[in-house]
Amino acid sequence: MRGHGDGMLGLAIHAEGLSKHYRLGELHSLSGTMTRILRPRAAAAAAGLEALVEVDLTVRRGEALGVAGTNGSGKSTLLKILAGTTLPTSGTMRVRGRVLPLLAVGQNFHPELTGRENVTLFASSLGIPRDAIFAGMDEVTEFAELERHMDTPVKRFSDGMSSRLSAAIAMQFPADIYVFDEVLAVVDREFQVRCIEAIKRLNRRGSTIIFVSHNSQQVAEVCKRVVWLDSGRVRDDGAPGDVLDAYAHAHGRADEQ
Amino acid sequence: MTRLDLEQGAAMSVPLARQLELLTERVIAPSKRRVRLRDLLRDTAVIRVLAARDFKVKYKQSLLGPIWLVFQPLALLGAFFVAFRNLANVASGGVPYAVFALVGLSVWSFFLAAMTIGSASVITNSNFVRFTPCPRPAFPIAAIIASLPSFAVTAAGAIVAAAVSDRLSIHVLLLPVGLFWLLLLTAGIVGITSSLAVRFRDVISAMPFLLQVGVFLAPVGYTLAGLGGTMRTLVEANPLTGLIEAWRWMMISGYQASVGPVIVSILETIVLVVVGWLIFSGIETTMADEI
Repeated sequence: MRGHGDGMLGLAIHAEGLSKHYRLGELHSLSGTMTRILRPRAAAAAAGLEALVEVDLTVRRGEALGVAGTNGSGKSTLLKILAGTTLPTSGTMRVRGRVLPLLAVGQNFHPELTGRENVTLFASSLGIPRDAIFAGMDEVTEFAELERHMDTPVKRFSDGMSSRLSAAIAMQFPADIYVFDEVLAVVDREFQVRCIEAIKRLNRRGSTIIFVSHNSQQVAEVCKRVVWLDSGRVRDDGAPGDVLDAYAHAHGRADEQ
Repeated sequence: MTRLDLEQGAAMSVPLARQLELLTERVIAPSKRRVRLRDLLRDTAVIRVLAARDFKVKYKQSLLGPIWLVFQPLALLGAFFVAFRNLANVASGGVPYAVFALVGLSVWSFFLAAMTIGSASVITNSNFVRFTPCPRPAFPIAAIIASLPSFAVTAAGAIVAAAVSDRLSIHVLLLPVGLFWLLLLTAGIVGITSSLAVRFRDVISAMPFLLQVGVFLAPVGYTLAGLGGTMRTLVEANPLTGLIEAWRWMMISGYQASVGPVIVSILETIVLVVVGWLIFSGIETTMADEI
């Protein structure tokens, strides 16, 4: 099989024949089970969704890759497999180095805990060692511009403040591969610019970046290569200008802001 | 294939690790079971943080805070006195009733708390399950650890009560063994309930009822000696029964523990731990999809 041995050394991610099948409908309810037993044909018709179909993807170390695609194209599933939260139905993905995924902003905070306590909690859940968290606390606080709020329970934070804090956590700790899924959607323009600068800095230092955004401008700014996913398949793969143009053309520029 | 040490790679700064080619390769592929027991020993940091959170949030925006740790068992003890001692006039095998009941209560209230938070632990952490690579066994384990402080308070109360009434047994030195056993049994059951709850929320709906029945099916406030027939068989089959008997034997001098239930409970603990691990690790691979 390709991808073994020395061939993997310059690579960050190598996916071969990656597929993910989801069952649709209610999975373990009485009514769902009854439907499957009583009307197997109807149940089978509505049975599944192919989120990813035989995806091959190779990302070199230090690359900044954008993933474009409409809702339901398989972007998030690909990122979730990379982050290790879900497993593929078939195929393999080889990942080299430490992955730091930010798949949702502001979702992992406990409302009753303070900003500081939540940084420790969320960073630990991402596998960041304790001393690294304490060492990086000031940088996270400063980057999120929340110096005065770190001892306040997060339930008193605005959506923007929570988003800034999670983005800051994902960008201030060392990793080999950073995964960003739609992380700049809720924050203001100024903070978006700072995040993009931070992501580019991580990339310059040699980390691999996987970046998903509905904002094509941001994708073009961060990434040197874009993969376009369409119904779980790779439809295009190349320079951001070409791929994003083709994507915008196919979707009537509806996704561009 | 080059497979190098993860810990080393992680501890070093990124560029250095890159120079030395110390990056670990991880292969993500379909799997029926992916968590390993040895991973748990590596993930103690996140378990600590989660346990601290589970403990802290209990007393956030609470006037009395941890004072509840002392008040709750005292109130329960009072209720037991009225119900079992005064109304039902239950015998406690020649042991002062407060000592007798406190030992049972400390084990029971720990089990109750750990079961309640632990069974829901994966569901309440659904955002971590869906969006982070946090090892999933960390959630129930943290919930169990977070229930330990309240246990320490009641267990200390039981020891003091036994000492004051001059009935403290030398077997109390075996307490770490008893604690280990209690933790294993709880972890086994919580492993089953917390993972099944991801698929079937019925587990959560059934839990308060099961626990309410459970307190009567375990000799928390009464002795085994007063029981007979079917009831006795039921109570002796309860894995908590032998455990509580063993705890009373550890703490109270001259306490005559029934050996049968203790052996039954040890065997049940082993089975529940193995089954709990198999069910949890089996469901674990699809938790993010099903939760």
